[in-house]
Amino acid sequence: MTQRSTKTAFSPWEMVALESFQTPEQTQASQWRRSWRAATTWIVGREASERQAKEESELRKLSEVALSHWVPAIDWTSAARALSQVTEGYVDAPVVLFISPPHGGHEAVVSHWAQQQGVNCISAPTLNELTEGCLEWVERCGSQHKWVIPALERHFLRHTQGLQGVRELLERALSGRLGQGVIGCDSWTYAYLQHAVGLEGVPVVTLQALEGEQLAHYFAQLADDGGVRPTVYSSRTGQPILTGVSKDSAGGERSYKELQRLAAHCRGHLGIAWHYWRERLREPAGNGDSGRSQEQSQGQPKEPSKESSKELWLLDALAEAELASDTGDVATLLLHTLLIHGGLEDQALGYVLPFSSHEALNARLALARQGILRCHQGRWQVAPLSYASVRQLLESRNYLVDPL
Amino acid sequence: MDDQEQYAKLFNDIDSQALITLGVILASTVLLIIVSQRGLNWLANRLHGQVRFRVFALVPLTRLLILITALAVAVPIVIEPSLRNMVTLLGAIGLAIGFALKDYVSSLIAGVVSAVELPYRPGDWINIEGTYGEVKHVGMRTVEIVTPDDDLVAVPHLKLWDSAIYNANNGDVSLQCVASFYLHPEHEAGWVRKALRDVALTSAYLKFDKPIIVVAEEKPWGTHYRIRAYPVDPRQQFLFITDLTVRGKQVLSAAGVTPALLPPDAALDSQGAAS
Repeated sequence: MTQRSTKTAFSPWEMVALESFQTPEQTQASQWRRSWRAATTWIVGREASERQAKEESELRKLSEVALSHWVPAIDWTSAARALSQVTEGYVDAPVVLFISPPHGGHEAVVSHWAQQQGVNCISAPTLNELTEGCLEWVERCGSQHKWVIPALERHFLRHTQGLQGVRELLERALSGRLGQGVIGCDSWTYAYLQHAVGLEGVPVVTLQALEGEQLAHYFAQLADDGGVRPTVYSSRTGQPILTGVSKDSAGGERSYKELQRLAAHCRGHLGIAWHYWRERLREPAGNGDSGRSQEQSQGQPKEPSKESSKELWLLDALAEAELASDTGDVATLLLHTLLIHGGLEDQALGYVLPFSSHEALNARLALARQGILRCHQGRWQVAPLSYASVRQLLESRNYLVDPL
Repeated sequence: MDDQEQYAKLFNDIDSQALITLGVILASTVLLIIVSQRGLNWLANRLHGQVRFRVFALVPLTRLLILITALAVAVPIVIEPSLRNMVTLLGAIGLAIGFALKDYVSSLIAGVVSAVELPYRPGDWINIEGTYGEVKHVGMRTVEIVTPDDDLVAVPHLKLWDSAIYNANNGDVSLQCVASFYLHPEHEAGWVRKALRDVALTSAYLKFDKPIIVVAEEKPWGTHYRIRAYPVDPRQQFLFITDLTVRGKQVLSAAGVTPALLPPDAALDSQGAAS
């Protein structure tokens, strides 16, 4: 079992067995803080409850070009290599399950792994095949030496007919009749299928949660280009989170403390922390380089080495689309359903929710307007910045939640 | 003359200051009770899960504590709290209760017992002598239940002494629901059992840390199946049962499983048994 104290390396790609997964320090404190924040917002209003060292009005969003420079997309190939090493330890197991929370990258990791290994991906069934309980798509899988399923959540529907296919598929996979495979799966889908299908004895691996120090190193590396990094300040405290120099300065301890807050809020999940970092990063509004930003947005990115004194600000991570504590049953059921399926199309909602498509659509629209949901590749899913509060709400109301 | 002295010893001199003090105590008690009852109910209605029931349980207890404290402060102002005086006072009160207010006081005492033993508390789903509903308020004399038809029923606490109290969730969030299906005897029972289990497993209301049990019972007219499962929140029980029933019927109908049809005489018998 991996102990937290042995985490000397700063790599965010530590692949561990599910039972070894540990949320970061102060995760519980972060939940209490969120509840306290919701209570004070309700009593004194949003503005008064969010005392900031730097007002949001003094800052502005970064252009897409600048964002792609300072916060490029996560490269999951390193995680795929870590997965490769882990699967080598399970040579006798017909299936290894890799789970990650929403926005945690399991689909990308398993797809990269499949590319690296030259392994065939099993395609997902259509919505019609799932609702009709059709098993032809399982038959099409045949028997292969090696195979992968990048996203198991696309292979089932919480519907009496929608479980038949995934049961048959997993029965064949676990008995070894399909060959040897790796399945990527959303952690919420995994929690549901554990009850609905049964996944006892299947080796389950996941990425270990990150602490604040690891996040600091990851974000520093992400923005590092030729030894130059932006200095990132917290709008909450006014203190630096990332310093412009490569070596750790005396303020390192404090910056880790601030990023530990972010890590705890995100339950140590890199994918969600990355979204916070990307969407909450700002630059000073009055620094006179608005013209330069416009130039950048027109496709002429500036040389990063010349921008050695770039000053960025991170808005308070907790001050995002929070779910009201009096959220009704319809919205709660919809959010839970979307999480269990790793996101759903509008036309699938009617099959999995106990109310009419019209009601489901209304609830979906309302949540999308509040910024709680977002559309990704035609599927509605819980927005990364709302995930922490949605999970906390569902847990407090005794809904089935994921193990991560 | 001796009697007058004895009465004088029993009651203290009630001067204007004592009257003002008693008035203040009375007003404070009423105010505190109203604030605590409304405040705790308001808070509990905004909470979910186990915490909701814990806060609801505090409602009658808080009122009892406030009343005891008020009495402990007020009684020494009115009477000299010696043993002799107390025996005299309690004797007189006992006589009055015994003749005139037996049931009323019995309900009040049962109300105190209910606040301590907690056979029901706000948020519980209880059945007292055929009245089923959610406990909305545990008062001093009565417990108020709101039935599924939205009727408010006030049941005196004295039912505690001689009636069975059925509590479906007992201060917890787990409340078992039962959805019944009456099927024609000719069907594949094993398949129906699995299908009904899947119906429960795919319900959005299902609470997963509780078991799902499908019970089959053979009857002269067919087979009676029951899905026993738990909703996430006790307040969802009727929606949960409806969801199970509607989707269960869809699945069985699609598979060609026909419902049981009672012969007219059996139908009459079953109606009589049900009533």
